[in-house]
Amino acid sequence: MTTITIAGPAGAEKVKAPPLRPQNRQLAILAVLLLIAIPLPLVLPPAQGAVAVRILIFLLMAVGWNIMSGFGGMFSFGHAAYFGLGAYTSAYLLVKHDVSPWIGMVAGTAVAAAAAVLIGYFSFRYKLQGAYFALATFAFAEMLRLIVTSSDFTNKAVGFSVPLIQDSSLWMIQFPADSPAYFWVALVLAGAAVAISIVFLHSRAGKYVSAIRDDELAAASLGAPVIRHKLVTVALSAAITAVAGAFYTQYYLFVNPELGFGSAVSIQAIVPVVIGGIGTIWGPVVGAIIVGALTDVTATMLRTPPEFLSFLQGRSGLDVVLYAVLLILIVRLLPKGIVGTIAARWRR
Amino acid sequence: MTNTTHGAPLAPEVSPPQTKTKAGGGFLGRAGIVGGVLVIAIVIALLRSGSGLVVWQSVVTGILTGGLYGLIAMGLTLIFGVLDIVNFAHGALLAVAMFISFGMVSATGMHPYLTLVIAIPALFLIGAAVHRGLLSGSGGKSLENQLLITLGLSLLLENGLLMFFGAEPKAIALPGDFQFPLLGAVVAGSRLYAFLGAIALGALLYWLLRRTRLGTAIRAVAANGPGAELVGINVRRIHTLTFAIGTACAGAAAALAGPLVTVTPTLGEQFNITAFVVVVLGGMGNVVGALVGGLLIGLVEQLTTIYLGGQSSLLGVFVVFILVLFLRPQGLFGRKTA
Amino acid sequence: MAARKLIAALGACALLATGCGGSAPVGAGGAAAGRDEGPVKIGALHPVSGSNAVDGQQMRRGAQMAVDAINAAGGIKSLGGRKVELITGDTQGKADIGQSEAQRLISTGAVGLVGTYQSAVSTNVAVVAERNRVPFVADVTATDAVYANGYRYAFRIQPGSAVIATAAAQYLQQVSQQAGKPVRKVAFLHEQSDFGSGAADAFTEAARGLGIEVGPDISYDATTVSDLTAQVTQVKASGADVLAVAGYYRDSLLAAKAIASVKPDLNAVWGVSNGAYDQPKFVADAGDLGALYFSTNYHYDANNPQTTALREQYQRTYGDPMRTGAVLSYDAVQVIAQAVEKAASTDPQQVRDAIAAAQVAPLTVGNGPIQFADNGDNRNALAVLMQIQDGQVKQVYPPEKAESRPEYQVTWRP
Repeated sequence: MTTITIAGPAGAEKVKAPPLRPQNRQLAILAVLLLIAIPLPLVLPPAQGAVAVRILIFLLMAVGWNIMSGFGGMFSFGHAAYFGLGAYTSAYLLVKHDVSPWIGMVAGTAVAAAAAVLIGYFSFRYKLQGAYFALATFAFAEMLRLIVTSSDFTNKAVGFSVPLIQDSSLWMIQFPADSPAYFWVALVLAGAAVAISIVFLHSRAGKYVSAIRDDELAAASLGAPVIRHKLVTVALSAAITAVAGAFYTQYYLFVNPELGFGSAVSIQAIVPVVIGGIGTIWGPVVGAIIVGALTDVTATMLRTPPEFLSFLQGRSGLDVVLYAVLLILIVRLLPKGIVGTIAARWRR
Repeated sequence: MTNTTHGAPLAPEVSPPQTKTKAGGGFLGRAGIVGGVLVIAIVIALLRSGSGLVVWQSVVTGILTGGLYGLIAMGLTLIFGVLDIVNFAHGALLAVAMFISFGMVSATGMHPYLTLVIAIPALFLIGAAVHRGLLSGSGGKSLENQLLITLGLSLLLENGLLMFFGAEPKAIALPGDFQFPLLGAVVAGSRLYAFLGAIALGALLYWLLRRTRLGTAIRAVAANGPGAELVGINVRRIHTLTFAIGTACAGAAAALAGPLVTVTPTLGEQFNITAFVVVVLGGMGNVVGALVGGLLIGLVEQLTTIYLGGQSSLLGVFVVFILVLFLRPQGLFGRKTA
Repeated sequence: MAARKLIAALGACALLATGCGGSAPVGAGGAAAGRDEGPVKIGALHPVSGSNAVDGQQMRRGAQMAVDAINAAGGIKSLGGRKVELITGDTQGKADIGQSEAQRLISTGAVGLVGTYQSAVSTNVAVVAERNRVPFVADVTATDAVYANGYRYAFRIQPGSAVIATAAAQYLQQVSQQAGKPVRKVAFLHEQSDFGSGAADAFTEAARGLGIEVGPDISYDATTVSDLTAQVTQVKASGADVLAVAGYYRDSLLAAKAIASVKPDLNAVWGVSNGAYDQPKFVADAGDLGALYFSTNYHYDANNPQTTALREQYQRTYGDPMRTGAVLSYDAVQVIAQAVEKAASTDPQQVRDAIAAAQVAPLTVGNGPIQFADNGDNRNALAVLMQIQDGQVKQVYPPEKAESRPEYQVTWRP
């Protein structure tokens, strides 16, 4: 890895040739972070342990979204489609056919990737871009939700409940209620996702994708196979998001159309990345931690608010208001997100 | 303002109303196709439901509701046509206006339609503030940033309403509501008034755009921003004004629609989706297209209930949306860019 | 370098996360401590914010009133007069929040849980309860699926959706026959999720077994519908003589408005598990539109003097009529408290066994005391037929539970 690369964790605008950022350095950082994270569930109280798992689920979704919308520049407002497909495929196979959720997860990624390729192919062929593309992805997610809600095959609006087993089982991804095993499984999945995103970004395909994002016409005229790479990006993005969906089902032991395909899910994939930094490697990580922690902090605060905020007692929606404000502030003031801005400052 | 880094949006930045010379073969042909599809759709609905009454009722309700969708979409399409901004917060702003209307009615007992007098200026000012404050600076220029900012705004407004008003549905009653029969179908007075109001306001908007200096300035900016600046139009001010007019349309629609729906913070979401479909169907940037699109979508919504038994009427709307996006993304009234 | 800054930022965030969870106690050890000392804690999970906040608030208050009544009578005597305390959680109507709230209450030491109103939330809470081996007595939950899972820790006071719908079909046949206009064909208008569809399916099965024709089956999406005129017109065109409606409050109100405009040729409007047609609020909102509407549902027992006294107390304290949901929460808390009394222990597993063997006098309509079958359902739960007469919701059938006689007709036809 001694060749100078032009591509790198770029922000939303074009950047000049950045200094060397070899993927090994990033992988090393990832390894360190994972090591730090391993003892966390043993140290944190159980309520925080749950927050930590939720952060990891957000992280998976964020990394997935970032690959398509950050690296690939194709804004998706309907990532819930892939999350839901992952969740439902895994749940269906488990409930109806007793298939292990690991296999279900793989099946889920396949289904989601196939769906993404289908949607992507038609969108690219008909040259949908920008806002139109975003709207189309949103429409697909909503359509899936409506179809799943009214179809017997997916248990209509009831959704699927994961059958409870008596003991722990790694094969069935089910452990006692506060077990740290959930966190560790999620950590492995999230770590793998980030590693994949690092490798992808620095790979040849990743460089093509960045080039296509920055100027599709130029990239095409230089011979980059545009549609193929866009489809690969979309498929990878969907696959990772589907893993989040499948794990979610195992952790919460339940999924229904709203939880799987609702627009709130799409938003949960977007917000952490924007806050952290679109198109960066660490942006989704930082963003997921912030958004996950924020939700829990506001919930606690709303339950027993301090004096001057007592009118907020028992109201819902504060956490979304906070991260919406954060989102707007970041986009206006720090358009590269937290990580992107730090990285850009550092480069000077 | 085409954003070349992400490919040109396929809708033209055409001035909102079509010029008179646009008519001719292409237009008639399209009108014919749409008309034909409609007739076929109605015939199929007749066959499926076996009752002319049911279909007629659907058609009547669909057209009346469609007028309202048209008004909401007109504001949205104006914003897109002139500023190139996809305003995801349109529905949330509508919800805000509805709460304003509700607040006024429950505080002072005034007639719901009187709240138009308050809702329109209020939303005008809010729109101006949003544009100046959030969207007009350098951060707001790129497409992604706009999408994200308006998305953030919609989340903020919706959840702000949730926090302060709670999610319990509220109703705005129309004093003297009545129904009258129209050849067997039943028409609710509130729906009829909303329709008439929407048409009236739409006509007003059209007049504004075509016959006033302000309107000409707006159309000039839409057609050619730098050119307009060269001839002395204060483009930034026009942008803010247009955005504000767009949101004022949403405010008007809210006041008119109040008695028709139950008021909840998430109301905006449903209307938002429908408004976007209408805008794409009519052609982004085309005000007349928005009205026609609104009527069509109103019909689609009602007919879906007949076609697809228990499915949500939204599914039919989405199917139309996907078809339009793929087959004719510039909409019925838009022009293909070269 | 950036990595260092990143690690610093992450560390800060982790600290933030840990530091701001002060109210959360420490796992299983904490739960046991919570149970053994101080008051006996019963957890109440209701949607006190969100679109069903009014019902959620009512139910939380009903639960609190039960706790107050128990304490006023001397607390848990078999444990030396220990007081009972209600610890509450807000589910916000969301399944994942309900789940984490349930987990939190259990960690705080709840010996039992009541709740939750929404079926999806109850499903999740039942799972948490089952895994932690803490009994969960549902006050309002329509879904039958939870109680078919073989859980040992999930119980329910209200009659299930299938029970209500079957009763609705039987009552319809009996009442229409008594009125001299035996029912021929029932059109079913329902919201499309498992609540409405479940009611429709169960009703259809029961009705067909009784020789009643059911059709057309018209469903709609409760979250987005804004007008039901088209659907009711379909009913009119079908020639059905009874319209059954299964929906939530908002859409049932829309249905009433549509029915009033379209005026189909019906003999009766027959609510099945309907969220509106037995509520005083509906009478206030709909006015004359809802007159003579029938509804088969669970209900507080209007003939029980204790229930009347409780409702009067609620009205005095909160200025609002007490809804059935709140009375069900009252019953649910009583079930848990009496089980603790019987078991003379706060060990949730022993409490669960006491619940399974319990017989508790209900303040809601029933065929006898609350008694649980193996799957957790209340054997004696009974759905009663009600009708809106003279601006009041009255129990009209079966005769032993009736306050007045049913008037089998609609207002716009003689």
